[in-house]
Amino acid sequence: MSETIGSPTTTTTTSAEIILRIKDLHTYFYTDIGISKALNGVTFDIPSRKVLGIVGESGCGKSVTALSCMRLLPRSAKIPKGEITFFRHKKNGNGSAAPVEEVDLLKLDTMSQEIRNIRGAELAMIFQEPMSSLNPSYTIGDQIGEAIILHQNVDKAEAENRTIKILDQVGMSNPKAMVKRFPHELSGGMRQRAMIAMGLSCNPSVLFADEPTTALDVTTEAQILDLMRDLQAQLGMTIVFITHNLGVVAQMCDSVAVMYLGRIVEQASIEPIFYNPKHPYTKALLNSIPHAGSREHKRLLPIRGVVPDPYSSIKGCPFHPRCNSFMPGKCDVNVPATVTVDNGHTVRCFLYSDEVEQQ
Amino acid sequence: MFSYIMRRLGYMVITMVIISVLGYIIIELPPGSYVDAEISRLRQQGGNLAPEQIAALYQRYGLDKPEYVRFGLWVSGFVRGDFGQSFQYSMPVSDLIFGRLGLTLLFSFLSLILSWGIAIFVGVYSATHRYTVSDYVITILQFVGLAVPNFLLALVLMVFAQNVFKMQVGGLFSAEYVNAPFSVGKFLDLLNHMWIPIIVIGASNTAWLSRVMRANLLDVLNMQYVQTARAKGLKESVVTWKHAFRNAVHPLIMVLGGSLPGIISGETIVAIVLNLPTTGPLYFNALLQKDMYLAGAFLIFLALALLIGNLGADILLAWVDPRIRYE
Ligand SMILES: Nc1ncnc2c1ncn2[C@@H]1O[C@H](COP(=O)(O)OP(=O)(O)OP(=O)(O)O)[C@@H](O)[C@H]1O
Ligand SMILES: [Mg+2]
Repeated sequence: MSETIGSPTTTTTTSAEIILRIKDLHTYFYTDIGISKALNGVTFDIPSRKVLGIVGESGCGKSVTALSCMRLLPRSAKIPKGEITFFRHKKNGNGSAAPVEEVDLLKLDTMSQEIRNIRGAELAMIFQEPMSSLNPSYTIGDQIGEAIILHQNVDKAEAENRTIKILDQVGMSNPKAMVKRFPHELSGGMRQRAMIAMGLSCNPSVLFADEPTTALDVTTEAQILDLMRDLQAQLGMTIVFITHNLGVVAQMCDSVAVMYLGRIVEQASIEPIFYNPKHPYTKALLNSIPHAGSREHKRLLPIRGVVPDPYSSIKGCPFHPRCNSFMPGKCDVNVPATVTVDNGHTVRCFLYSDEVEQQ
Repeated sequence: MFSYIMRRLGYMVITMVIISVLGYIIIELPPGSYVDAEISRLRQQGGNLAPEQIAALYQRYGLDKPEYVRFGLWVSGFVRGDFGQSFQYSMPVSDLIFGRLGLTLLFSFLSLILSWGIAIFVGVYSATHRYTVSDYVITILQFVGLAVPNFLLALVLMVFAQNVFKMQVGGLFSAEYVNAPFSVGKFLDLLNHMWIPIIVIGASNTAWLSRVMRANLLDVLNMQYVQTARAKGLKESVVTWKHAFRNAVHPLIMVLGGSLPGIISGETIVAIVLNLPTTGPLYFNALLQKDMYLAGAFLIFLALALLIGNLGADILLAWVDPRIRYE
């Protein structure tokens, strides 16, 4: 592309294993009742061709993180600080040693042609509620085909063929008839399959799946999760799986990022998170869910207190008012920095390092 | 879709029957008929009416027959295009109405199209530019449009047109064209006379419809599927018009169905102020004079306009929204 100063894209060949790098991301909402600081310095890497889970209580900023990457935030939101780098793999046929282009997503205008070329084609997102995520006025075929026509330069008939193929891939029975159906004629599970088909329609590098199964019953949820796992392995894409269900994480993900109040507090692979959690918040989260198959009936421990509202700011570590390992004079004064405790296992807590985050 | 339309047509016929019965009762409700008024007027003038003359008058207008027979005669006349006799003008109602009806429909239709077009554009613009200066300006204009009564707007525009543009206003044609054969000049003159009534008739409707459009589009723009459309990488204009607008236009269509009679009665006041030869003033007088056949015919036409408008709206709605189409 270019070496022009100020251009959001540069070409490098490093970081082949990372697809998105989010650094010190701050996202604020400017509302009538004040500034809601939804993200306060989110830093993490999204490994390529893996499934990364993002977990945390409601309101901790999981959806806002994904929407920030997609540049789909509402107009009331501003990103005063941070960096989101997309390591874009040029799609060339043979796949070997394709150059990687670095795109600084935050430098793109939210309405620009560049971001629209990325949305849907390279970064796709499926949303929480399958019931309201599809437009009631258009057929499934129209809504999926629309993205294909837009990004893959094909005509309507070819788009419909491809739509039928994808619907078949996501396990829709009778996909030929399905393209003519309207969303209200489909069950919740079928709609979520249609949404997944839409997300996959242009073969994106990253799929943000924002609690794609919370609205479904347990059986349907299991089917959809299986499907996503299979497709991920088959297509080799990256999935960012947002959920507050740790059971689902164990089933779906290769690694996990735990969020609390607009920050990532711990990130690691699945095993360390479940068997050797570091952050008191992660431990508390694990204690609050029942262990399937465990023999003894341990009392479930809900995390005490509630998530503070994001309009007020807390001095020190944001979790200290609810923390069992609270150290006065330390946790309520400074914010702990992110440190590596083990290979690929990072945590933000004064129990493991005294390092303070530089403001 | 076909059965849907047939069902709506069925409802329409039933409603029409009920309205004609109600209409007839309402018209007959006030004591005294036009003939009674006529007789007392003749008596006051000193003339002594013989009972035979009175009976002849009654018979001529069918007032000697029982109510249900008169109702049957009245209704069956509609089918043949016979709407009875106007007492006031002593001529068939159909002759009186039809010339004016065309003009009324033309005015109503034009102002409906105009107010719809403007309302959609303005409503979508202000919803997608919420809290900008232009949105605030539009909001103020909308409230002004809603608050100013039609007749006042008509008067203001008349004075304005007369003093600023030195135009002749009122009526449909300038003096030199009234009796002239139809020509390009006459047509332009007609257009020149039509804009004031069309603006006046359409103003409050436009203001109201664009408010509705704005509010609905704002709601729909918050829907998840709008976000889905953006996430596909679609242009904002496609997101707005294809995905949001289509789901926000329902209430506008429903209002459209019901707004025809409102426009026709709104036209009455404007026509009186601007001296236009439309049906409005005639209807108004017919009600004042208890000219029952004339008033009845108007009532029926208004009801028919309402029902046709609603049928049109229903069909349009079914076309826009698949959930209705397949119910
Ligand atoms: N449009 C908005 N206006 C104002 N504040 C918002 C808006 N969207 C999100 N927020 C705030 O940002 C914070 C993070 O919200 P987010 O939706 O990311 O939570 P979440 O982790 O996805 O929660 P959930 O599990 O409930 O989906 C919340 O405190 C919320 O109040
Ligand atoms: Mg969420």
